[in-house]
Amino acid sequence: MARRRTVHILVALAGLAAAGGVAAAGPRALRKHTFKVRLGPLPANQKVAWSHGPYEAGDCSICHASADPRKPGPVSKPGNELCFGCHEEFQEIMARRYKHPPAQESCLHCHNPHNSAEKKLLHVELGAGCKDCHPAIREVAAKARVKHGALETGARCASCHNPHGANVEKLLIQLPFDLCVNCHGADGMKDHAGVSLTNFKKLLEENRFWHAPVAAKDCSACHRTHGGDNFRLLVADYPAKFYAPYDLKNYALCYGCHNEKVVGEPVTRTLTNFRDGSRNLHFVHVNKAERGRTCRACHDVHASKQPLHIRQGVPYGVKGWILRINYTKTPTGGTCAKTCHETKTYSRAGAGASRK
Amino acid sequence: MGTAVRARRLLAGLLGAALSGIGPAPALAFANVAAGDPVGDEELPTLGGGRAALWSPRALANVFVFFRPRQDHSLSTLKAMAECEREFEKRPVRWVAVVSGDWAREEVLATVAEAGVRFAVLVDAGDELYGRLGVRLHPVVGIADARGRLLDYVPFHKVNYCDMVRIRIRRALKEVDQAAVERVDHPPRALMPNEIPGAVAKRHLHLGEALLQRKQWQKAAAEARVAIGRSPELAAAHALLGRALAAGGRCPEALRSFDEALRLEPGNRAAAEGRKACAARR
Repeated sequence: MARRRTVHILVALAGLAAAGGVAAAGPRALRKHTFKVRLGPLPANQKVAWSHGPYEAGDCSICHASADPRKPGPVSKPGNELCFGCHEEFQEIMARRYKHPPAQESCLHCHNPHNSAEKKLLHVELGAGCKDCHPAIREVAAKARVKHGALETGARCASCHNPHGANVEKLLIQLPFDLCVNCHGADGMKDHAGVSLTNFKKLLEENRFWHAPVAAKDCSACHRTHGGDNFRLLVADYPAKFYAPYDLKNYALCYGCHNEKVVGEPVTRTLTNFRDGSRNLHFVHVNKAERGRTCRACHDVHASKQPLHIRQGVPYGVKGWILRINYTKTPTGGTCAKTCHETKTYSRAGAGASRK
Repeated sequence: MGTAVRARRLLAGLLGAALSGIGPAPALAFANVAAGDPVGDEELPTLGGGRAALWSPRALANVFVFFRPRQDHSLSTLKAMAECEREFEKRPVRWVAVVSGDWAREEVLATVAEAGVRFAVLVDAGDELYGRLGVRLHPVVGIADARGRLLDYVPFHKVNYCDMVRIRIRRALKEVDQAAVERVDHPPRALMPNEIPGAVAKRHLHLGEALLQRKQWQKAAAEARVAIGRSPELAAAHALLGRALAAGGRCPEALRSFDEALRLEPGNRAAAEGRKACAARR
């Protein structure tokens, strides 16, 4: 029984995917463990932290043909059917919309059925086992200039992903926002540099106009959750300051969804409602060679108290003084009372700029 | 924006204000068109030549995808919709994509070819349709009914986008109800094995049953007790304890377990049979 079986497990993801919810993801490359998988009990000289109940009790015949621990013989049922005989909850888990192909194929890809030094009888530590088959994630996490603490704390990968089956793509346990606020929904969180991070539960409770990806609980539309090179793990460039010279590529994040022509055309009657007659006021504010106002000057990217994500005020300068925007909506446009500039009113019905 | 849209927006705003607790303020679909509004019936030139409208009265679900070239989200969405279109090809679903007329034809053709799109691509010269509907985002999917009224608006989602569009098409086809849409939009948490209520108790129950089959009644009884300790309401565990005790010749105790199993689940067959057998032995 103490024999050591070394197997290099080929996980035929493509074929399995066709049988489950991962079909939508399309064919996937074959993946292979680089570590050796041991299915027999750990050798006597190796530390055992966790044992499977029947093995610990010497009840070999629960799984094997014989009760003799020296010659237990073959297992009594093929594949996962044997495991699911006791682990009944997997009938529900493996019926979920998205399934992890290795889990569909064999529990033994990740678990030792006898004992282990790792929790849940895993062959290797949870995160390490995941990254072994998902080297791209390992590389992103290792090379990222901005790290995400979630990858190295708590249940690591399993904080956000269910390694068996889930109802959300990417085997996410919940929709992204519901997962993110598990950590980012409290005061006192800080980033690697010690800067306080927003309590998003509180922010959203206090600000009822949510940016569409926030309302859709789709944080990953803008944030790279495994690590990245941009400020705040943003998926693409976004100006970090109030002023920036206008350059299309600086706004790659916003233009991932928004139409870049909204700031590119000086005159329009179709691209935006922020216009005075046909004079495009987004163009006027943002499209400047030097001190262009960035999106953040007027919009709060997560949530605001006013429609269109318009801020009430924006932190300005090194001390973060709050610059009031004083925006008021009107039936055909709006008014911004002075702080940035003298009070100005715009109207889509009008012919050009007007001032009070 | 029409009076009807303003009225709906006002009503939605009042409803939103009346709601308590966390939740976003209601948003309009396209900036100038709300659900229920007509999307217009003008014909636009197509990329392949000819002209086509955004919707057809012959389709119960008219799906239109606004996209642009040189954008990852648009490309991934078009690919997903191309697959989705094949899935619905035998049902009354009509698909079109819409692209601004400002993009070079070659760029649009390249994007469409890479995505494997088979349906018509409408070219919006001068962004007339974009402006009339108020399309502010790319990609975005709209669904209209057979009368050309907007049923649904689905802006891009990085996660579960295809599922969200698919279920809305099915609702337009009247294959599912709103509750099914809600289930897709708010998928239940995928609990880990040990988080599932009763899962651990049932493992002990099944192990105990396997042990009893192997005539190890004392171990079976021990497993049943662990199961009961974790889930006192699990009738099957009480029945197992009764059967294990009966196998060990301890019918008076077994009867108490059978009675408890039958109290929890009057139809529990194992308990009823076990009780009968024990009573016959007395």
